[in-house]
Amino acid sequence: MALSSDEIKAAMLAKAEKAPKPQLYVKDFYACDPDTKPRAIKNIANDLVKEGKLMFWSSGSTTMYALPSRIKNEETRDEAEENK
Amino acid sequence: MPKHETPLLDELEKGPWPSFVTDLKRQAETKPECWDILGQLELSFKDRITHWKHGGIVGVFGYGGGIVGRYSDSPKEFPGVAHFHTVRLNQPSSKFYGTKKLREICDLWEKYGSGMTNMHGSTGDLVLLGTTTPNLEPLFYDLTHDLNMDLGGSGSNLRTPACCLGKARCEWSCIDTQALCHHLTMHYQDEIHRPAFPYKFKFKMSGCPNDCVAAIARSDFAVIGTWRDDIRMDQDAVKGYINGDFPANGGSHAGRDWGKFNIKKEVLDLCPTNCMWMEGDELKIDNSECTRCMHCINVMPRALRPGADQGATICVGAKAPILDGAQFATMTIPFLKIDPETEFEAVIEVIEKIWDWWMEVGKNRERVGETIMRVGLPTFLKVMEVDIIPQHVREPRSNPYVFWQDEEVPGGFERDVIEFRKKHAQ
Repeated sequence: MALSSDEIKAAMLAKAEKAPKPQLYVKDFYACDPDTKPRAIKNIANDLVKEGKLMFWSSGSTTMYALPSRIKNEETRDEAEENK
Repeated sequence: MPKHETPLLDELEKGPWPSFVTDLKRQAETKPECWDILGQLELSFKDRITHWKHGGIVGVFGYGGGIVGRYSDSPKEFPGVAHFHTVRLNQPSSKFYGTKKLREICDLWEKYGSGMTNMHGSTGDLVLLGTTTPNLEPLFYDLTHDLNMDLGGSGSNLRTPACCLGKARCEWSCIDTQALCHHLTMHYQDEIHRPAFPYKFKFKMSGCPNDCVAAIARSDFAVIGTWRDDIRMDQDAVKGYINGDFPANGGSHAGRDWGKFNIKKEVLDLCPTNCMWMEGDELKIDNSECTRCMHCINVMPRALRPGADQGATICVGAKAPILDGAQFATMTIPFLKIDPETEFEAVIEVIEKIWDWWMEVGKNRERVGETIMRVGLPTFLKVMEVDIIPQHVREPRSNPYVFWQDEEVPGGFERDVIEFRKKHAQ
């Protein structure tokens, strides 16, 4: 039986917290609930972005998801370097 | 006064052709950051390595695409290009816009960006090159409120759909490409603006098999107009071409004298399936053998026209060479009626069947064409619930084995192992 949307959100955030790399593909979230269709998982991931709990990260050609706390943008890095 | 010495780039101004270096120097008079583009590029020429870094920013608030983040790896040396993000604007269908709109876009970009543009990107977007992170939100506000335009797709999103001129200007168009392009753009706003897939996905629509947007070579989902009855023929006009009353190819090769029109040499002998011949002064076509190459129609547009029972062929899986080599899209649905009255329901049903399968089976960064190649076309066609026809076969078989599906074998593959071993003693 498929999990509820809130249960899937919690599982996704836990996965994003524990994953070895901060950036995850949308496919990495499918395992959070194998009974939910991939497009529904994608919509839930995008809801988490709207809520500010996940953020998009793009390489230019591929877009990934990440916890904002685990991501340091280039700009933040540059600013940190400049402030050193 | 140049900010950086650029002897290597200056070489690119010496030829007889237009030079982007000259353009950048001119632009630098009003946009000084352009000097830093030249300086960084000169350094790249010397070091033989790019000094751009990508990644991070994907869009404005609520969007997961449309902006491609770009940064200099030497921001202290080239502060003007420390941030130099690219903005993609969704082009109007068929790129129909007036000079007023073009001026407005350019004015907007002079205000918020470097003033440099790329008209158009290969997906068709209007590409605006070079702005900073703080300028993105104000630019987006003005773009949507004053210009009534929107960002296009980037990253793992549905990319901005593109179409040919269609019925707006072309007599051969078998489908209203602009209506379909606009409808799909509006219907899939979420997929265009937010990542949705394992990798990029592109729609392109051509009105006829001439395929002026090269949908078959450049899109994951190509809708190409076609017909399933006979080519419409005007025998008097055929005679007119033979007698030299009308110029061949609509006069498009009239810059040189090619001699008298020769229907055998210029049409019949060039038919790829040899399905045309003359009986006396009448042109005959075996339409069941026509492969829709459009050559005869292109040469004699006054005499020949696409048939009247029109629709589209759906081809899936074209891509440029990244992981594997480049590949054309594979013909998947031979004929589909394209009906605006039903809000293109039949097309949307095919699209979503592909997406549901690809999102589950496709690997990360794998285009749908690569997934099809990996699992095999028969598997894909089975998922699509398409009956396999000879036109799906690309080449004669090179594998001697025949693979049967469970339901094709009487009794299936289920067996009683104990019973089996009684007959096949070990």
